[in-house]
Amino acid sequence: MSMKFQSIIVEDLQVSADFLRRFCEKSGVVDVNNHFLNAEDALSYLKDNVVDLIFLDVEMPGASGFELLDQLLYSPQVILTTSKVEYAYDAFQYNVTDYLKKPFTYQRFLESIQKVGKKSEQQNGNSDQDHMFIKSDGKLIRLHNDDILFIESMGDYVKFITPAKKYITHNTIKNLETKVNPQVFMKVHRSYIVNFTKINDIQENTLFINGNMIPISKTHKSGVMQKINIL
Amino acid sequence: MHKEAGKIQFNFSPQLDVVFLAGLYDTDYEQAELVFETSAEQIRIELQHAREKFSAGDAAALKKVVHKMKPLFGYVGLNKIISDFAAFEEVCAGAEHISQTENGFNHIVAITEEALQTIDSEATRLKQFNTQCL
Repeated sequence: MSMKFQSIIVEDLQVSADFLRRFCEKSGVVDVNNHFLNAEDALSYLKDNVVDLIFLDVEMPGASGFELLDQLLYSPQVILTTSKVEYAYDAFQYNVTDYLKKPFTYQRFLESIQKVGKKSEQQNGNSDQDHMFIKSDGKLIRLHNDDILFIESMGDYVKFITPAKKYITHNTIKNLETKVNPQVFMKVHRSYIVNFTKINDIQENTLFINGNMIPISKTHKSGVMQKINIL
Repeated sequence: MHKEAGKIQFNFSPQLDVVFLAGLYDTDYEQAELVFETSAEQIRIELQHAREKFSAGDAAALKKVVHKMKPLFGYVGLNKIISDFAAFEEVCAGAEHISQTENGFNHIVAITEEALQTIDSEATRLKQFNTQCL
């Protein structure tokens, strides 16, 4: 791993945060830019700052770590740090990179960082992709980014909308948002990822693509406005 | 403590999870000393919070405090206490009235007070060791 990951720690227990900071320094590949004792302060920081990685406690005073993830405008990698194994299923649902049960050893921490490195390489490798394969009706179907208008959540399934056809596949928006090309797609609502080259117009908190009305959530509004080219 | 391959090693007390502590601190005993001291300090603060929540009859708030205390025992090698805390968290979660947590709470207080003596004693040993090694 040659690059250094920019990270923050969101942890209400100072001893745990100090430990984590020490491990990051020792690894030489993770910079800790900040430490927050609660999710609200972290979220406020993340609105103006981009990081590669969040070390995130789950149970904290106020909002939980999962509530923070629900409100994030983008998808940095996340390592959950918690003393409860019961959160493993939720961690999987949120597509976090790893799950560290406190307290953890330096060796276990390094394993997590290796996973971050691998995932980062995969994501960078995907960033130039002009297509994706989806499994629908028992087939693997190649969809060009330019053909996809938007992707809509249907619980455990998602619907890919193209001008000609709709494809339903077993997946989640949360999982897809880290896999689609960020140069073309963006999440605008927890149930929608849109191809922003296809947006026809935006009115208040709604955007229109080929006559389809798509809501923009309050938390994603500023991200959308930054992406589009307003003259 | 003994000398091995030119490096002086600290032997953690046998009542602690020495294998786990070795993985946690390696040979960074100054860090260990700091963590033992700060963990003891934090446990005392949280124990006071726990007493306040119990007196106020707030089982949900008591559960949160217990949850926060739990990993602190791991950093000092008292991992066996963690399962007692986890079990008490469940008791708090299921309690309709604070009186249902009383036995468990008394047990938690007793093992915490005992643990604090162990942690303080180990912190002192670490401090002596680190001072000698300076």
